[in-house]
Amino acid sequence: MSPIGHELRLLLRARLAAGALVLLALLTAASIVAGLAEVRHQQQVIERIQPQQAADVAAISQWVSKIEDPGSAAYYTFHPTWDSPSSLAFAALGMRDVAPYILRVRALGLEAQLYDGENFNPELALPGRFDFAFVLIYLAPLFVIALFHDLHASEREAGRLTMLRALPRSRRLWWRRGLLRFAFVYFAVALPFAVGAIVSGTGLPTILAVLTLIAAYLVFWVALALLVGRMSWSSVTNAAALAACWLVLTLVLPTLAHVAINRAIPLGQGVELTLAQREAVNKAWDIPRETTMARFFASHPEWRDTPPLPPEFHWKWYFAFHQVGDESVADRVRAYRDGLQARDAAARALGWALPPVGAQAALTRLANTDLAGQLAYQDRVRAYHERLRQFYYRYLFNDIPFGAPDFEKAPKFGSIVPSK
Amino acid sequence: MSAVRLIARDELRLMRRNRVAVIAFALLVLLTLIAAMTSWTHQQGVADLRARFQSEADRAFDAQPDRHPHRVVHYGHFIFRPLGPLAAFDPGVDAFTGNSMFLEGHRQNTANFGDVRQSSQLIRFGQLTPAFVLQILAPLLLIFLGYGALARERERGTLRQLLAQGVSGRQLFAGKAVALGLVAILIGLPAMIGFALIAGQPGALAGPMAVIALGYAAWLLLWTLVVVLVSASVARSRDALLALLAIWAVAVILLPRIAPDIAGQAHPLTTRLETDIAIQRDLRQLGDSHNADDPFFAAFKQKILDQYGVARVEDLPVNYKGLLAIEGEKLTSRLFDRYAANSFATQSRQSTVMNGFGLLSPTIALRHLSMAAAGTDLAGHRRFLDQAEAYRFDIVQRLNRLQAEAVSYADDTAKDPGADRRKRVADSHWDRIPDFAFRPASATALVGAALPGLAIVIGWLFAAIAAAWFVSGRLQRNSK
Repeated sequence: MSPIGHELRLLLRARLAAGALVLLALLTAASIVAGLAEVRHQQQVIERIQPQQAADVAAISQWVSKIEDPGSAAYYTFHPTWDSPSSLAFAALGMRDVAPYILRVRALGLEAQLYDGENFNPELALPGRFDFAFVLIYLAPLFVIALFHDLHASEREAGRLTMLRALPRSRRLWWRRGLLRFAFVYFAVALPFAVGAIVSGTGLPTILAVLTLIAAYLVFWVALALLVGRMSWSSVTNAAALAACWLVLTLVLPTLAHVAINRAIPLGQGVELTLAQREAVNKAWDIPRETTMARFFASHPEWRDTPPLPPEFHWKWYFAFHQVGDESVADRVRAYRDGLQARDAAARALGWALPPVGAQAALTRLANTDLAGQLAYQDRVRAYHERLRQFYYRYLFNDIPFGAPDFEKAPKFGSIVPSK
Repeated sequence: MSAVRLIARDELRLMRRNRVAVIAFALLVLLTLIAAMTSWTHQQGVADLRARFQSEADRAFDAQPDRHPHRVVHYGHFIFRPLGPLAAFDPGVDAFTGNSMFLEGHRQNTANFGDVRQSSQLIRFGQLTPAFVLQILAPLLLIFLGYGALARERERGTLRQLLAQGVSGRQLFAGKAVALGLVAILIGLPAMIGFALIAGQPGALAGPMAVIALGYAAWLLLWTLVVVLVSASVARSRDALLALLAIWAVAVILLPRIAPDIAGQAHPLTTRLETDIAIQRDLRQLGDSHNADDPFFAAFKQKILDQYGVARVEDLPVNYKGLLAIEGEKLTSRLFDRYAANSFATQSRQSTVMNGFGLLSPTIALRHLSMAAAGTDLAGHRRFLDQAEAYRFDIVQRLNRLQAEAVSYADDTAKDPGADRRKRVADSHWDRIPDFAFRPASATALVGAALPGLAIVIGWLFAAIAAAWFVSGRLQRNSK
């Protein structure tokens, strides 16, 4: 029998080891199934809102097209936006359970709409999701500890260590044994992931990146286990020391770092931004309309040469002060966003020292479910909202009647931005 | 009885000599103190910040110039969820729910700007609070200190010696359990000191605090017994350690993550976007406010005209537009209430499924009892949302009534250049709109909400005591 075959038999005969590997594979598979189910659910939601949204617009079109008033159309019509999950989102759901992935906006002030939340049960979100990232980051290291803590110590405790060391090429034995165990752990995690990724249609480069990440993360824990194993402690002391390392690296230090980061990088609360925007918007009713229009034309000169405001209410003034309200808080928006990114960057930097944090950051980045993914979605909503405004302004400022066919002409989210 | 004491004293002496154990214990105590400090200052900071925002928002509302009441309906009001003193011990879902809300007419907005969306991803690794330390970390320390309690004796053959000397299995078990139980009490003590600090604050309620203290005491004793039980049941101390780590990983880390996934899949929530669309659809079915001949609104108009005995809305002693606004708000608000009740019913069903897992993992039951007693669970959030909606409805209707009574119909429909001035009412009215005051839950309600979780944790404790009785009785036979 080949040496590898022999080791394989030894490993599989150890009930603890074999049971642990089967359990790890099952847990990984379960997390993949749960992740795929959640992503499919999110896709279904995105699909099923489209006809509902169309019916909503049709109902508005029915009465607005009678008066052909572009202001009412712009005021009452909501336009859907959505953030489809990436093909890797099933593996790391990241922020997708607490941040909305569908949002409808209208041509009014965006800053009062962009930060709206989604209906979700906070008690379910609190413990975190059972996704692949969780299995890899929290559970897999525990299995590595179970399988590696007594690599040397078990032989010593069985009284065979000296004999084994005396054997020629004994170093190879350890390599063989270690590699075999590593390979088993690796495949227990990587195979279910690879199957899930293929089902989900993940691109090959991304799959390879995750497979490498899995290997790197597991190598870290194996290396730690072997390092502790060299201390010539008893197997039980090894296990305790490794479990303590796990505790400190995955639970204690990240929570401490969270407190430290939020203290070190104070963030002007997002609510200050919306309060300021609301003051700016509502102030328009109490100042001369010309002041608002002057500010609006300063940043949007293309509408300057349009008919002047009539003495009575006109929607174009209404939308102009919403636009001016948004623009008046642009600095705060930038500062808020910078603060969010600074906190995120600090956590990422910490990932180099804390592999669990690093692995989480890398996985959610690859899956586009992290803060950057959220902000990218907000950017797309912003760009879309700008197109909506331009679309309605053309009717408002030129007093073009807005009929039923015009509802169809409104820009659609996700379609290609027309070149200006 | 003295045999138990001797064994316990011996075990404690052994733990004291174990340097690693002492360091681990000291670190955990230190961590609890840090957690209590940071959590307390965080809670104070957040409470102050929200109070400051709230008074700024109240001031801004009162300082509005002369305005048309309907403008004020759209100017709306911002309210902030205050954070109770017990949130310093267990902030529960606070970071996951928005804590500010914009209230306006015809719309029900979400609570926005929760910490979870304003912090780095680290928040998903858990938050360092006394509750976190006691729920997650303390059991692990008990495992490290106690896994060898009996397994070690058996491994070395001293178990048989002890039993041969006339110590009964139950005495031996009790001695080990008492020693580890004392450690458990010491572990819980720093958190309780933090708790005592909170108790000094205004608004801290004695009943819920007693339930929390009782729940965590039962929790730590449960783990004490589980550790000694496993140690008594396996042959080698290494097996005891691995088995206990596995139990901990499943009960404390794994099941609390799987349970919400299953609950969420079993009872999916309707998204906010769909709810908004459904409310608009229902409103249109009630009546089309944009259509002058709509039967619903025509009937309403007729009812008002009959009530005042006039033939035209222009002849009404009150402003018809204000009355219409009152009626419209009533309709939308009724729908908001209905859809919100549906959503909360689904969420409670989800929570019920999840809390059912407490039967499998007492961690879930403990977490639920802790949040419920602290008033930081889903019910606490709902309390805020319900009061927010009631307040929103109240101020919007006050403003609509103001429009009906203080703005004449002729002015309200006028379009001449001076009309804007005549439509406005004096700014002295804004002062008279009451400020939002959150009414926290009563002590009885909090205790009542925490009881199911407490019952499960104590049930587990009794089961562990029964198992301990059984296993320790057989220790004699399984001593080798």
